[in-house]
Amino acid sequence: MDPSSLNSPELEQFINQEKQKAMVNEMIGKLTAACWDKCITGTPGSKFSSSETTCLTNCAQRYMDMSLLIMKRLQQ
Amino acid sequence: MDSFSSPSTGASPKFSPDDLMDQLKLQLAQAYAEEFLETVRGKCFEKCITKPGSSLSGSESSCISRCIDRYIEATGIIGRALFQQR
Repeated sequence: MDPSSLNSPELEQFINQEKQKAMVNEMIGKLTAACWDKCITGTPGSKFSSSETTCLTNCAQRYMDMSLLIMKRLQQ
Repeated sequence: MDSFSSPSTGASPKFSPDDLMDQLKLQLAQAYAEEFLETVRGKCFEKCITKPGSSLSGSESSCISRCIDRYIEATGIIGRALFQQR
């Protein structure tokens, strides 16, 4: 491949966007797996119970809180 | 744009940035789908096939299909919790 064709601003922007997307995707994927294990304890039903839904939401948000706390703690 | 031309020179074909982006999009989508599939397989196997028998039972099959739906739903809930919170 002609490397000079890679010197394109659009391509660079595209790759940066995709990097960002990949990070977001990975984060959601990891958290979903972890929170699924914590919150969905029985066999999956045809609908989430409201406590399961709340647990999933809380799980994700507390994970973010925790990440912040860990960062702060390690910066001390 | 004459992206795939240069038949006479015998040089390696030139790809335009657009072709490259299309190719990347496709491969990324495939990679994301594969990873998701692998995770769902693991999670639903764990939940639904608790005691593997000589064949997949009807209740196991329906558990698996519910599990897939719920896992997709859970992914949406987590995404919303992270990015449009409070």
